[in-house]
Amino acid sequence: MEHRNTQSPLARAIGLGSAKEGSGHWWAERVSAIALVPLTLWLAAALIAHTGSSHAAFIAWLKTPYVTALMILLLIAAFHHTALGLQVVIEDYLHTWKKFTAMIAVRLGCVALAVVGIIATLQIAFAG
Amino acid sequence: MIIASSDQVSRATLFKRFPVPRNFGIARDSRIGPGKRWPAPAGAIRTKSFEIYRYDPDTPENPRVDTFEVDLDDSGPMVLDALIWIKNKVDPTLTFRRSCREGVCGSCAMNMDGTNWLACTRFISDLSTPATIYPLTNMRIIKDLVPDQTHLFAQYEMIQPWLQSETPDPEGERLQSSAERSRLDGYYECILCFCCTSGCPSHWWNGDRFLGPAALLQAERWLADSRDEATEERLDLLEDPFRLYRCHTILNCTRTCPKGLNPGKAIAEIKKLVVERRS
Ligand code: SF4
Ligand code: SF4
Ligand code: FES
Repeated sequence: MEHRNTQSPLARAIGLGSAKEGSGHWWAERVSAIALVPLTLWLAAALIAHTGSSHAAFIAWLKTPYVTALMILLLIAAFHHTALGLQVVIEDYLHTWKKFTAMIAVRLGCVALAVVGIIATLQIAFAG
Repeated sequence: MIIASSDQVSRATLFKRFPVPRNFGIARDSRIGPGKRWPAPAGAIRTKSFEIYRYDPDTPENPRVDTFEVDLDDSGPMVLDALIWIKNKVDPTLTFRRSCREGVCGSCAMNMDGTNWLACTRFISDLSTPATIYPLTNMRIIKDLVPDQTHLFAQYEMIQPWLQSETPDPEGERLQSSAERSRLDGYYECILCFCCTSGCPSHWWNGDRFLGPAALLQAERWLADSRDEATEERLDLLEDPFRLYRCHTILNCTRTCPKGLNPGKAIAEIKKLVVERRS
């Protein structure tokens, strides 16, 4: 014990009490993971299939409506899952102000990257 | 390797201890200094050396690791027998907890050859030579092999380990079908030795808030009890990013439980219940 603490052991164990949440995060982690399985397999297969094809052919492929849709879904699932996963790592290993700073940085970073990816995909899809 | 239970000693261990210097990253006054050697009594034929963690709060000295030569022909077959032999025949100041000497009280949990287990149910012959005996990890040490478990029992108290019921008490017993009773199997056997909680990495990092496998297995024991009516409050109390969700199913707990229980699975059951009630 670093410093004298006159709280009872039970009071210390209770701390600030239960947040009464956490299942939403846990569930979202599993759901995004399930979504990522087919989406990543699809992307990997598609990229392998496109080895050696020209830039123009690749852009044309990306413009196909279903490819654009899958691409955007993949970006959403991937960055959502990344944000949820990194939050767990941060909660495990960081404490006090470092935890909050890292949490904000990760959240905003993931949203920003997802938005950039989606806009890039849309621009390719709808540019002339 | 898929972990089902911990009933047997692992056949192969890559490293007996993680390959860093003994006092790596240890606070100055917890560093382990050189210990004493206690030779076997004259005439002993079969001996085995035990390296045992010693800490005496009444001296300003740091902890140390003493080496004892135990006369195997004079001591019983279990590690606890060897410790009792040392206390009786060599050094009466060696301090450890024990009571039942048959694996039902949970007092003699300690770390033997890097694994948490009960000293009274671990054969001396299962340990390598020299055998290393340390107290349970991640707790303040009171003396030698006796850790301070105040916080762990406070966490246990927090999950309200008693039957709660609004329905007026029946005339006789509270009845349970045998199927309902069997849902307590795998939980009621827990002896609260805290081998699991002491070995849980999540409890090392966040033990102030994470309840740990022992308390959570007990929480599930009351959730699974057909006679209990406090499921709602119990789940409210448990659903918390730190209290429950710090468990990442690493399963060190299941690997080490000397009663062969599966706290990792009990925790997964709680997580399932929490999702079930909201969907
Ligand atoms: S499964 Fe959970 S409780 Fe068990 S050791 Fe791993 S993190 Fe700890
Ligand atoms: S679950 Fe096993 S290791 Fe954990 S306290 Fe209970 S008996 Fe001990
Ligand atoms: S002395 Fe009771 S469990 Fe070992």
